[in-house]
Amino acid sequence: MDNTNIPPASSSDTESERQHDEPLATRGAVVAKGVALGLGLAALSLGRQSGTAQASTSTGGPHLDPTENMSWEGWDNPQLQVSDGWEKWQTILNPEHLPIYHDQFARIDATHPKHHWVMVMDLRKCVGCQSCTVACKSENNVPLGVYRTWVDVYQEGQTVPNPAGDIVVDGQRYQMDVNVMNVPKICNHCDDPPCVEVCPVKATYKREDGIVLVDPEVCIGCGTCINACPYGARYMNPVSHTADKCTFCVERVDQGLLPACVMSCVGRARVFGDANDPQSEVSRLLADYPHVVRHAEFGTEPQVFYIGMSGEIATADDPSIQHMVFTYTSNANSTVAVR
Amino acid sequence: MPLDTSPLLGLEHVYWGILIVIYPYLSGLVAGSFIVGSLAKVFGAKKFEPLAKISVMVTLAFLLVAAMAPLADARQPSRFLELYSRPHVPYAPMGLFTLIWTTYVLLVLVETYFIFRVDNIYLATHAAGWRRTWHGWLTLGSRDTSDATQKRDHTVLVVLAAMGIFLAFAFHGYIGFIFGALKARYLWSNPLMMPLFIVSAIVSGIALMILAYVGIQGGLVGRKTLNRDILDGLTKLLMWVIFVDLFLDIVDLLNSGVSAYTSESVFEGFHTIFMGGPLTFMYWGLQLGCLILGMILTFFRRLRQSPLWASFTALIVLISVFAMRYDTVIGAQLQPKVSQGLVAYAVPWLGRDSVQTAVGIFGVVFVLLSLQLLLLPWESTWITAWAHGRDGMAKNEEVPQ
Repeated sequence: MDNTNIPPASSSDTESERQHDEPLATRGAVVAKGVALGLGLAALSLGRQSGTAQASTSTGGPHLDPTENMSWEGWDNPQLQVSDGWEKWQTILNPEHLPIYHDQFARIDATHPKHHWVMVMDLRKCVGCQSCTVACKSENNVPLGVYRTWVDVYQEGQTVPNPAGDIVVDGQRYQMDVNVMNVPKICNHCDDPPCVEVCPVKATYKREDGIVLVDPEVCIGCGTCINACPYGARYMNPVSHTADKCTFCVERVDQGLLPACVMSCVGRARVFGDANDPQSEVSRLLADYPHVVRHAEFGTEPQVFYIGMSGEIATADDPSIQHMVFTYTSNANSTVAVR
Repeated sequence: MPLDTSPLLGLEHVYWGILIVIYPYLSGLVAGSFIVGSLAKVFGAKKFEPLAKISVMVTLAFLLVAAMAPLADARQPSRFLELYSRPHVPYAPMGLFTLIWTTYVLLVLVETYFIFRVDNIYLATHAAGWRRTWHGWLTLGSRDTSDATQKRDHTVLVVLAAMGIFLAFAFHGYIGFIFGALKARYLWSNPLMMPLFIVSAIVSGIALMILAYVGIQGGLVGRKTLNRDILDGLTKLLMWVIFVDLFLDIVDLLNSGVSAYTSESVFEGFHTIFMGGPLTFMYWGLQLGCLILGMILTFFRRLRQSPLWASFTALIVLISVFAMRYDTVIGAQLQPKVSQGLVAYAVPWLGRDSVQTAVGIFGVVFVLLSLQLLLLPWESTWITAWAHGRDGMAKNEEVPQ
């Protein structure tokens, strides 16, 4: 009840741009943010306006040119001071002004929301091509070195000696008795998200339709949510210096499109849809096939479901269980030797 | 020249670095030194009365800076007002911390006013020049030094000290909870975090008070003014609290390091990090080794009463507590959540979250403490000198001979 918002009478009403259940004190924070951002992007906009005749390699200033800027960390965010629609984060993240929740997520069920967006990863179909990783990077302008989705390689079993095997090493014959599976990973948009609950300034929230989002204009970048996520799904955006994560491509979903990773999946291993609709593909898949979630033991109630996974996932090198053998994303700063 | 993107590659990072290590360290020193300063008032340990003023100055200096470390670690520190304008209480650990910190700052400021009130009035009426004005401001217009008001001051200070001890526990115990509340990190998600942090805070606070007493009283006023009984008492107190701290450390060790008693994730993390891993020396050598060495040194009366040895004991205990903070904060983040191996981490020398920033924050503490020593009437002989000049004569401005 305390989170429901009456739809604004007039869409041009400026107050309706921020339909948080927050006090209007946040507007002060937005103004402060705007001033800081304006200063930060002033040089950029000047460069843009004066340099329209530059070659197509122009990146909008030397600080965004990887050949000139040693600490280049990816393309800049959309220019928030330009009135192209991207400056209105509240409109982008929550155009229908859905009620949002920062805690006590059990209240969401009580409101009987219209949609409940979930994703199903059908591991029988994933070929590990990483198209989703690339599509996500492209769609969401994800900077270098961080990921909103990625695909890890898991396997079960091992290479065993077999006189009839097809692998010959030093005169010995072996056979690969291995099940390999590619496991796409993404923010689970948990129904009880610990990352949202620990945010000290309510910068991150769960929308009524289940999507967990970060407001980049409010986040103070303390990193608590990143440490609180059991799935490593959040990262510190090196460009905006705020916490960032998968949004289920909220701007596409709100327009009736599928998330970029789902659109680009060559094997249709990723299925996105409304779990509240019994006729949706996700509902039918979940009804027909056994499925698990990642790390159910944390009690976060993940809303990304995996078909074809045993549920016994580990990173330990144990051939008797499904375990991670390789990740494309985590080896550069870890003690694991590149194999 | 190729781009150096190595610090960026990889999903897993140590997101909370050296600044979040010194954040519980600083706040532990605050909580501990406040508790020591309140011993005389709340627990009737009259022996420690001379420590009260030094304690309140040390507490204030560290307290003001304690919130600077996490703020410097935040990537958008200019948005700090949101912590007040849209706090997520009581759900977010860090959100409640802000409120506790603010209350604590107010309490220590009020305590500073009352503990120095009579001396400030004396200087406001007897000193000359800028000191007369400055100490006049510090009195907030009060000029009444009658016995009744002094008795009232004492009552107020006792009440403040009692509330302050509660807040010290809340303040620092809560920092343990900030880590303990994050169930995604196996080595943090532990109910022992709160007692571990609060007890080691008291250990470090007592050690800091020994150093401050020897350094400020002994160094600035005179070695001869050091009271051996106070040193002996503080170090003996240190010994008892180290017993408790070691006990909790052993409980933690048993609960994390023995496979039969704990989950596989905690056991794996503990073993790969602290037993043969990157923080082995930090844990066994510094955190436990220094604590045990410090404890042994507190067993000897002659060492307890010697300013040099007591300071040495305090110093190695402070090193041990710092190592405990480092092991807890960094250690748990070395264990990856979704990938393999251990996350590689080395404290950078320069930059946002680096040794440079950490040294700078301790530098701010030093400056704040020095300013207080110069601007607050904490030492009776200095008060006399400030009021009357070194020769004891009344010092009047521009009086022609």
